[in-house]
Amino acid sequence: MNLLEIKNLKMDFGADAEALRAVDGVSLVIGAGETVCLVGESGCGKTVTALSIARLVPTPPANYVGGEILLNGQDVLKMSNGELRGIRGGVVSYVFQEPGASLNPVFRIGNQIRESLKLHKPEKATNEEVIRLLKLVGIPAPESRIKNYPFEMSGGMQQRVMIAMALASEPKLLVADEPTTALDVTIQAQILDLLSDLKRRLGMAILLITHNLGIVGDMADRVAVMYAGQIVELSPAKELLRRPLHPYTKALMASVPKLHGTADRLSAIPGNVPRIGNFPPGCRFAPRCPIARPECSEKIPELVEVEAGRFVRCPFWKNERENITAEAPRRGDK
Amino acid sequence: MWSYVFKRLLHMIPLLLGVSLLTFLLMSLAPGNYYTALLQNPQISPDTVARLKAQFHLDQPWYVQYFYWLKNVVRGDFGYSMAYHIPATSLIVGRLWNTFLLSFFALIIAWGVAIPLGIWAAVNKDSWIDRACSLFAFVGLSVPDVLLSLLALWFAAATGWFPVGGAQSPLYDFLPSAQQFWDRAHHLILPAIVLAASDLAGIMRRMRSCLLDTLRAEYVTAARARGLGEGWVVYKHALRNAINPLLTIFGYSLAALLSGAFIVENIMAWPGLGRLTMEAFFAKDSYLVVDCVVMATGLLVIGNFVADLLLAWSDPRIRLK
Repeated sequence: MNLLEIKNLKMDFGADAEALRAVDGVSLVIGAGETVCLVGESGCGKTVTALSIARLVPTPPANYVGGEILLNGQDVLKMSNGELRGIRGGVVSYVFQEPGASLNPVFRIGNQIRESLKLHKPEKATNEEVIRLLKLVGIPAPESRIKNYPFEMSGGMQQRVMIAMALASEPKLLVADEPTTALDVTIQAQILDLLSDLKRRLGMAILLITHNLGIVGDMADRVAVMYAGQIVELSPAKELLRRPLHPYTKALMASVPKLHGTADRLSAIPGNVPRIGNFPPGCRFAPRCPIARPECSEKIPELVEVEAGRFVRCPFWKNERENITAEAPRRGDK
Repeated sequence: MWSYVFKRLLHMIPLLLGVSLLTFLLMSLAPGNYYTALLQNPQISPDTVARLKAQFHLDQPWYVQYFYWLKNVVRGDFGYSMAYHIPATSLIVGRLWNTFLLSFFALIIAWGVAIPLGIWAAVNKDSWIDRACSLFAFVGLSVPDVLLSLLALWFAAATGWFPVGGAQSPLYDFLPSAQQFWDRAHHLILPAIVLAASDLAGIMRRMRSCLLDTLRAEYVTAARARGLGEGWVVYKHALRNAINPLLTIFGYSLAALLSGAFIVENIMAWPGLGRLTMEAFFAKDSYLVVDCVVMATGLLVIGNFVADLLLAWSDPRIRLK
């Protein structure tokens, strides 16, 4: 049994006629101890997908219209509030983007970590355990730090506290939603190293949400690329980075700046991310796709396994006619 | 911390000096003084009036009067009420106590009703409860104190459930102490409710919007994500942050209550500082006016100071130096 199985998840914002589909048929499996990256531009639905794992998207305005989220074989969408509280923290823990905003500003960090312990490991809700956790995430002089308020710490230290808090309950799955986006680059590397190290030592699975493809290569076993509420490519990380199949993934890779190269400007994907509720008919990437054909706008293509373990939502993925490289169409070219 | 308290109290001195100086100046700009009216009385000789004026230094320019007043205040003597013929201090202490009682109970009523209602409205956002609270707040904000006071008086007169104005019944001094207490409370209820009503609506709306803001905060989602129950999330994590802006309002609310008390006291015949100030002002009982204004200012400054201390106590990010 897999740790997490998301099956054909569909989620709307709003109800009835005004409903906007934010997540449209997302299926994703995470095995115990596996690291999966969820990649995509802002607004593609990756955060709401991740929050759904513990049903954390408030309903209303959100509305789960279909699918299942099996965590340890139990459907999260059918759980009672009491059961939900048990899995939140107990099975799946979260680390969010802005550590400064995710810690409650008016409570000491020791108090906040102890709160998690009290909830999930009441016998361990002691200062010693808090200090052990802070040591685990590499906070120097934890004995004096437990008395600190969040605003007395740097962003990197705050994120370590968030991670310590997430680990307090010994979860099976750690969901890290862009955990390094708000931090500066040297701290980013430290936090990512910490996550890989903890994963190795504690054997938990990680779902890492990012829009930074650079992180994917270092961290992920598998990658899911999301676009406009759908997964467009799902693949082992190494193969995806070596040979992306979906035109969107290719374009994303092409827009990553290279350290060695001669391109004098960054290539960008032409056009904009379609707004939720305003998705184009058929393939949602078609209006921005360099290899789009007229039939692409007629029917949404299926996510098909084209090679062992590699899924692509594009019938023309084999089309090598236009190899999308750094010479991808520039912004403004239509 | 203590040095901060000391510093704030020191800051009060120049403020009170300025306020008293300004009051003296403004009083001197109005023509005449308390004894001007006596000159119209043929039975009192102009010599007598001149003597009385000289006794209170009213024949001197206003800044000289001010220094005489200040000299006495430093020695703890707040001057003499020309209209009441008693020392201003004894007059003010009683009235100040009445105003304090009225404002204090109005404060308790206003906050005691507004905070739970605001929380309730925020937690049940867009429900009929929330809409009803909004309507109630809208009416509360729209009805002026004057009208509300008059309505309350009419209500008291029509039903006979409450005394019409005043702070105690005529036979107060002859009542046993338990009944004296009840008598005071009975007189206090209606003015306190009227005074609270004007403030209540604003506090409730603010509580609602502050709590809604914090409920959207990321640390609230993070708290839920750790498996905390909804009650714990709202009342510990969200409310503890939502209350901070309200503590700032607490200082303003005190100011609003004091100025509201002026109107309510005058209409509902509550013998408080506001009413005394108005009476003294119309009688040109100048020292009493200045004393009243200084007292009201002091009350206000202390109220703001208390609000600042509360905020510093509640929000660890604020350090008092």
